[in-house]
Amino acid sequence: MKRPYPGWLAALASGAVLTLSGCASDAPLDTLEPQGPISRSIDSLSDPIFLVAGIVFVVIFGATAVIWWKFRDDHSTDEFPEQVHGNFRAEVGWTVGPAVIMAVIAVFTLISHFDLNSSDRTDIQVAVDGTTTSWDPEIVVVGQQWWWEFRYYFDGLDGVDLSDSRNLPPADIVTANQMVIPTGSEIGLSITSRDVIHSFWIPALNGKRDAVPRRVSPWKIEADVPGVYFGQCTEFCGLSHSRMRMQTVAMEPADFQAWVESQMGPAVAPKGVAAQRGQEVFEGQCARCHVVNGVNDATSSGADLVANAAPNLTHLMSRTTYAGGIFNLYEPNGTLNRPQLEAWLRNAPAEKPAYAEGRRGMPAMGLSEGQIDDVVAYLQTLGEAPAFDIIAATEVE
Amino acid sequence: MSDTAAVSHGHGTGTGLSNNKLLMWVFLGSECLLFGGLISTYLIYRGRFGDGPAPGDIFDIPFTSVSSFVLLMSSLTMVLALAALQRGDIRNNRVWLLTTALLGSLFIGGQVYEFTTFVREGLGYTTSPFSSAFFTLTGFHGVHVSLGIIMLMSLLISSLRGTLTKERSETVEIVGLYWHFVDVVWIFIFTVIYLVPSPTS
Amino acid sequence: MTDTMELEAPARPLGAYTRPKANTGWRDWVTTIDHKKIGILYGAAAMVFFVIGGIEALLIRLQLATPDGTVLGADTYNRVFTMHGVTMVFLVIMPLAAAFANYLLPLQVGARDVAFPRLNALSFWIFLAGALFLNMSWILGDAPDGGWFAYAPNTGVVFSPGKGMDFYAIGLQITGIASLVSAMNLIVTVLNMRAPGMTLFKMPVFTWMILVVQFLLLFAIPVITVALFLLMFDRNFGSNFFNPEMGADPLLWQHLFWIFGHPEVYILILPSFGIISEVIPTFSRKPLFGYPFMVFSGIAIGFMGWGVWAHHMFVSGIGPISVAAFSVSTMFIAVPTGVKILNWLATMWGGRVRFNTPMLFASGVVSMFTIGGLSGVTHSLAPADTQQTDTYYIVAHFHYVIFGGALLGIFAGFYFWWPKVFGHLLSDKLGKWNFWLMLVGFNMTFGPMHILGLQGMSRRIDSYSPGFGFEFWNMFATIGAFIIALGVLAFIVNVVMSARRARHEPPVGPDPWDARSLEWFTPNPTPVHNFDDDIQVEALDEFWHRKYGEDQNGQVVRVASAEEVCQDGSATDTHLPSPSYWPVVLAAGLPFVGLGLMYTLWLCVPGAVLILMAIYGWSFEPVDDPDGPHGHHNDHGSDEPADDGASGTTPAEEAPVV
Repeated sequence: MKRPYPGWLAALASGAVLTLSGCASDAPLDTLEPQGPISRSIDSLSDPIFLVAGIVFVVIFGATAVIWWKFRDDHSTDEFPEQVHGNFRAEVGWTVGPAVIMAVIAVFTLISHFDLNSSDRTDIQVAVDGTTTSWDPEIVVVGQQWWWEFRYYFDGLDGVDLSDSRNLPPADIVTANQMVIPTGSEIGLSITSRDVIHSFWIPALNGKRDAVPRRVSPWKIEADVPGVYFGQCTEFCGLSHSRMRMQTVAMEPADFQAWVESQMGPAVAPKGVAAQRGQEVFEGQCARCHVVNGVNDATSSGADLVANAAPNLTHLMSRTTYAGGIFNLYEPNGTLNRPQLEAWLRNAPAEKPAYAEGRRGMPAMGLSEGQIDDVVAYLQTLGEAPAFDIIAATEVE
Repeated sequence: MSDTAAVSHGHGTGTGLSNNKLLMWVFLGSECLLFGGLISTYLIYRGRFGDGPAPGDIFDIPFTSVSSFVLLMSSLTMVLALAALQRGDIRNNRVWLLTTALLGSLFIGGQVYEFTTFVREGLGYTTSPFSSAFFTLTGFHGVHVSLGIIMLMSLLISSLRGTLTKERSETVEIVGLYWHFVDVVWIFIFTVIYLVPSPTS
Repeated sequence: MTDTMELEAPARPLGAYTRPKANTGWRDWVTTIDHKKIGILYGAAAMVFFVIGGIEALLIRLQLATPDGTVLGADTYNRVFTMHGVTMVFLVIMPLAAAFANYLLPLQVGARDVAFPRLNALSFWIFLAGALFLNMSWILGDAPDGGWFAYAPNTGVVFSPGKGMDFYAIGLQITGIASLVSAMNLIVTVLNMRAPGMTLFKMPVFTWMILVVQFLLLFAIPVITVALFLLMFDRNFGSNFFNPEMGADPLLWQHLFWIFGHPEVYILILPSFGIISEVIPTFSRKPLFGYPFMVFSGIAIGFMGWGVWAHHMFVSGIGPISVAAFSVSTMFIAVPTGVKILNWLATMWGGRVRFNTPMLFASGVVSMFTIGGLSGVTHSLAPADTQQTDTYYIVAHFHYVIFGGALLGIFAGFYFWWPKVFGHLLSDKLGKWNFWLMLVGFNMTFGPMHILGLQGMSRRIDSYSPGFGFEFWNMFATIGAFIIALGVLAFIVNVVMSARRARHEPPVGPDPWDARSLEWFTPNPTPVHNFDDDIQVEALDEFWHRKYGEDQNGQVVRVASAEEVCQDGSATDTHLPSPSYWPVVLAAGLPFVGLGLMYTLWLCVPGAVLILMAIYGWSFEPVDDPDGPHGHHNDHGSDEPADDGASGTTPAEEAPVV
C-alpha cells in the first residue's frame, strides 16, 4: 500500500514546466520574457519570490512525504504515539520566521513598487508641421468596447482636459489598436476609458493598468529594441472582451519620426472613380461614426455610439490590424486582405460579437456589393502601408 | 424570560444575556456595517452634485435639527417606557410607548416633508450621485425608524390585550435596543450630512 | 416583533394555520426545524448546485479546450462563467459549510439544537429560494453576464441591458438574508448554549472556525447588501451610484464588493480548516498541535481579512500609496495561514497516521492549500501582481485555495461525519478512488493554469487565437477537468452503493474513527433529540479523554470503551420543538417579490401575501404545539433552544426578519 505522494510529484512536475514555460518562444504574451527595463524590474522582483515559494513548497511537501513514509500507521502496535500538545517555542519560531521573511520581501517590494509608479521621462524631438519640437513622450490610451485608441498630443498633456473621455480635445495623431513608440525611451501612458473598465497590458513591456471611465491612470512602457509587442485587454469588459487586443510597435527613433510625419497630414483626396464613389458612401454611411481627417473631422460631433467614438480612419492603411486587433489588414505577402475586409464591411457583428443594436460595436451597414467594393477602394487610399517586416511581425491568427 | 427559565434550570447562558437579547445585539452589529457602507458612499459622493443642487445649498439645518431633537427625545421616552414596565406600571408603559411611536412618526413626517421640499427644489433621486446617495442613506434610516414604529405599535397592542406584563419587560428592552440604535445611527448621519460643512455650488 | 399576541388561546387561530404534525415523508423535510435535518437539506441542495456548477465548469473547459472555441460562443460563455463563479461560491461552498455548521455545531457544543430552530429553517429555505431564483435566470433565458464580481459600469443597464444582472443583484440579496440570519443564529448558539464546563477554549477548532466565519458573515454580508442595493437602484430606479456619465466613480463598486469579497474568501476556507483540524488529530492519534495557536491564527485571519481587500485592485488605479499599504498587509496575512499549515504538519509528525479517506482529503488540503497560499504570496507583491492579475495564474491560485483548500476539506468532512449523519460508513475503497481521481484531475486542470497565466492568457476570455502558446495546456486542463468529474462521480456512486450495502450490514456502532469531540457522544446516526443527558465538559477533546487515560509512564491507556462512553439515544421523553410551515412559506414569497421588481410589480402581490401570511402564522404559532406528540413542558432541558423557552412565559419571537 505504500505509495509516493502523487500530489507532490504532480506539483514537482508543474514546477518543472513552470521553468520551461519561461523559455517558450512562441508565446508573445509571456510575462517572464521582459523586453524592456520596466518589465525587467518586475521580473527581477518576481523571480526570487518564485524561488522562495519553491523552497517553502519543497519543505512542506518534503515534510508531507516524510509523514507518509515514516508516520503512517503500519498496524505493528496498538500503542499510541507520544501525545504532544504543542510547543511554544516552535509556534513562536514559525510565527516570527515567516514574518521576518515577509518583512524582507516587503522592503524589496516597496522599492520596486514606488519605482514602478514613478516617471523618469526625457523629451523626444519630433517634427510637427515641419518644425522640430520637444515632446514629453506621453500617449493617451483610451479603452472602448472592444478596441483601443491611442492619442498623441505633441504639445504635451499639460492643459489637455482628459476628464471627459467621450469628448477629448483634438490630438495631433489619433490611431487605433496599434500604438507606435520609439525604442530606448520611457513612454508615459495616460489611460482612461469611454465606457466600461478595460485593462491595458503589454506583458513584454510592463504590467497592466486598468482603463477606468472618468479616471486617468498614469502608467508607462519602454522597449529595448524594435519589435512588435502583443497585448490583450485583461479586465472583463463584456461580450467581446477576448477580442479586444492591441499591439505596441517599437521603432528606432528615426523610424518613429518618419512615422509621426506620415501620420500628421489629413487624408489625400482619392483619384480613382471607384474610390471617389467610395468616399461618397463613407460620407453618407461610415461618417456617422468614423472620422477621416480632412473629410469630416471638422463637422463630426462624435459617433452615433454609446461611447461617442469609432476608430479614426485617416491613416487606416498604415495599420496592419483592425476590429480590436483581431483581423489582418494585409495578407502575409503584403497585399490587401480583401475577403476579410469585405466580410467586415458586409456584416461586422457576424465577424466579431458586438451589441450593434445597443450602439456598441459596428453594425451591419447594409451596403450593396458594389458599394463595398467602392468603400474598399476608398479605404485603400487612406494612408500608406507600413514596412513589410512590420506587416509580417504584426500578423495575427 | 429565557434568562429566568435558564436560571431556574441551574445555570445561565454563556454570555449571561438571553438568546433573544443577544440576537438583537448581534443583529445591530451587522447593521453597523450596513449603515457604514451607506455613510461611506454618501461621503464619497457628497461633492458630486453635477448640475443639480449642492448639499450646502439645499439643506435646511434648523429644520432637521428640530426633527433630530424629536428623534433623540424618543429615546428618552423609550427608556421611560421600559422603566415603567419594569416597575409593573402598565399604564405609564403604554403612555410612553405611544409617545415614542408618535415622536418617531413625527420624525418620519419631517423626513417626508424634507424629501418633498428637495424634490420641488430640483433634487430628485436621479439628479446626481450626491442626490442618490443622500436619499438612499436617509431613506434606509427612515425605513428603519418606520419598522421600529411598527414594533412599538405591536407592543402597544400587546399591552392593550394584557399580555405585555412586567415579566415580559425584556421584549420591550429588546425593541428599545433597536430603537436606541436607530437613534444613534441618526446622530452619525445628522453629523455627517448636516453638521459637517457641505460643499456648495 | 409582531408576535405579542395572547398565547393561552388555542394554537390554531384558523383552519389553515394548523401546524404540521407529520414527521415522516416530504412533509417532514419541508417543515422540519431540526438542525440535523436542516444540515442535511443544506448539504443535499448544495450538492445539486455543485453538479450544476460543475457542468458549467466543464462547458467552460470544453469551450477553451481548443483555440477559437465554438462550443458556447461569446455571449453564452460569459453567462456560464459568471454563473459558475456565483454558483460555486454562494450556492456550493457556503451552503456546504452551512450544512456542516448546522449539523455539527449544536452537537459539538453539546446543545439540543441551535438557539432559534425556526429561524434556522428559514435560513435554509431562503437560501434555496435565492439559489433557485438565480438559476431561474437560465430558464428565463437571461443569465447574468457580468462576472461574479460584477464590476460597474459593465453591469449597468446600458452595458448589460437584459435581466441577468437583476437576477444577480436580487438573487444574491436573497441568499445574503439567509447567510445573515444563519450567522446570527449560530453566533448566539455558540456563545450562549455550550454544555456545562465548555469554556471557549475547550471548544473544538471546527466550532471555533465556524464561529469566526459567522462573525465574518455578520459584518461582510451587510456590505455586499449595500452594494447590491445600489446596483439594483441604479438598474431599476435610475440612481447614479455607478454611472460615470453622471459623475460616479466606478471604483466604489470594487471597494464595496471586495470589502465583502475578501472576508468572503475566509468565509469559504475557514470551515474547511476547521474540518481538517478535527480529522487530522483523530487519524494521527495525537491531539491537535498548538490548539491555542490554531484558534488565534484563525481569529487573526478573520481580523486581517478586513484589511487586505484592495489587493484585488492593485491595477485599478487607486494610487501607489494605497497599493503599497495593501500589498504589505496582504503579505502578512500569510503568517497566520502558515502557522496553521505548520501546526497541521506538526500534528501528523510523530503520529501513527491512518490514511483513511477522510485523512487523505485532509492531507490533500494541507498540501494543495500550500500551493494556493504560495502563489498568493507571489501576487501580494504589487509589482508582480501587475503581470499576474486577471490572468490564468490567478485562476490557478484561487482554485488551489477554494477547490484544493475548501472543497477537499469539505469532502474530508463528508467521509469523516457520514456515519454520524447516516449511520453507515462510506466505502473507503471507492473513497480512495474519489480522492485520487479528484487530486490528479485537480492538479491537471489547475496546475497548468499557472503556466498559462504566466504565458499571458487573460481571464474571462471566451476564446484565444492559436499562436500564443496556449493550446497544449488548455487541452491538458480540459482533460483534467473531466477527471475531476469522474472523481465526483465516484463520490456519488459511493454514496449510493454505501447506502445500499448498509441495508444488509450491521450498523456502524459508536465511534468508528476513535474520535475526540462531543458529537460522538451521541449514537450513530444522531437521534432526533441529540443527547440523552447534558455532558459535563472538563477538557478539550472531552470524548477522547473519557475513553483514554494515562498510566504512570505517561503511556495512553484505554479506560473505557466507546460503547461505555457513548449515550445510547434511549431518552424518549426529551422535549422537541415542533415543525413549522412558516419558514418555507416566508421563503417562497421572496422570489416572487424579486421577479415582481424585475418584470411586473403585480408579481410582488403573491410574494407579499406569502410573506405576510407567514409572518402572521409564525407570530401566532407557539414554538411548541401543546397538543404535539413530542414531549411535555416539564422537561425543558437547560440547553433548550430559546424559542422553546419563549413559549413558556413569553411568546416573544426571535427577530422578525423583515
